[in-house]
Amino acid sequence: MTHPSTRPLALLAELTYRCPLQCPYCSNPLELGKYRQELDTATWARVFGEAAELGVVQLHLSGGEPLVRRDINELVREARQVGLYTNLSTGATVADEAKLEGLREAGLDHLQVSLLDTLPESNDRLAGAPSFDRKREAVLGAKRLGFPVTLNVVLHRQNLDRIEEVIALAREWRVDRLELAHAQYTGWAFRNRAALMPTRQQLDGAHAAVEAARAAGTSGLDILHVLPDYYFEQYPKACLQGWGMVSMTVAPDGFVLPCQTAREIPGLEFPNVQDFSLEDIWVSAPVFQRFRGTEWMPEPCRSCDQREVDFGGCRCQAFLMTGDPAATDPVCSLSPHHHLVDEALQEAQQSNPPLQFRVMSS
Amino acid sequence: MTSQPIARPVLSVGTRYRWDKIREQHQLVFPEGMMVLNDSGTAIVGLCDGRSTSDLIATLKGTYPGSDPTDDVHEFLRQLADKGLLRDTSVD
Repeated sequence: MTHPSTRPLALLAELTYRCPLQCPYCSNPLELGKYRQELDTATWARVFGEAAELGVVQLHLSGGEPLVRRDINELVREARQVGLYTNLSTGATVADEAKLEGLREAGLDHLQVSLLDTLPESNDRLAGAPSFDRKREAVLGAKRLGFPVTLNVVLHRQNLDRIEEVIALAREWRVDRLELAHAQYTGWAFRNRAALMPTRQQLDGAHAAVEAARAAGTSGLDILHVLPDYYFEQYPKACLQGWGMVSMTVAPDGFVLPCQTAREIPGLEFPNVQDFSLEDIWVSAPVFQRFRGTEWMPEPCRSCDQREVDFGGCRCQAFLMTGDPAATDPVCSLSPHHHLVDEALQEAQQSNPPLQFRVMSS
Repeated sequence: MTSQPIARPVLSVGTRYRWDKIREQHQLVFPEGMMVLNDSGTAIVGLCDGRSTSDLIATLKGTYPGSDPTDDVHEFLRQLADKGLLRDTSVD
């Protein structure tokens, strides 16, 4: 048995998969209709208490759209009561003034609002619903109430040429942080990869725009830029900072996942918070031990001096691209499957298929 | 970034001091991050309540006689401000 050497620092609580938006890179499962059950208020409150006891510091309340939960204020209050730092990620279409005030009163520490593009019509097309104006209202309203606000923009081919505009908008709306993170090609984004993958030229332009903004002084705006790993030169990203090392996800129906997209990997058995405590799951659930540490690794990871730096990359990506979740992440230049990354990039340059939007069908 | 001394420090909105009873650590937590504080850092953060930095230093001298924390305090406050965890209310 591989025991964890550390306690988890972060818990992602996916309160619901329900969402008014249809983003084509959503990290929720493809077969959303299969997972309609949701934990009740009391069970979530117990989970937050167990998380705090286990050492979790940061709680991320997410979804779907967490604000469709009618008990959201109570959940925030419960989380604060046990000492967790509470972050909430919203698409903001249902974040009216009263809702924001309720969250403030409940003690929410930090609000993250997603934006799909700076052009309202492009934002609304990508979201599958009119939402730009409401997002702006929510950000301005949250700042009026004194929230620290992060604006999250998922980057891809269809919005990457507007980084300067994104930064300008973040300044105009006076957000505290701007998170520019490229789509992670699992789940819905993997399905839409050929339509979302940027070109090298776009990436260079975006990188230059971020660097120019930083050099000019960001005047209180903290910019976080996460690069797309298909373009990494040598080694893969340290996905999750290691499987079962610092974070865990509880899905709406109570199943506990080492990562929010781990349901894509067949053959893994996930424990449920309704049957076990979070500590039991963290310490001894087989699924958390499956890729923890380095013992599971095949070559070339096993003898690589990077093995405790990148932990072999992303297990979901390895499965999606090679069919084997224990394979070295093909993004790694040492992977025998690395040609799959080059082929995917080529395919993306040569085609522009229509986007498939997130839908709730089973 | 300015290198002016911080004159009247308060923690930024969204930055919170926290005692971690599991790890037995003093922490500053903030969006997407956390910083472990040592004892002197904890003492300084506890006094970032809207008083002036000179008052803060005088209070520390009173609590820990015989030491002069002036340089350490200025450096620590600058570090926190550069990370966005602290703001200087005298320049707001």
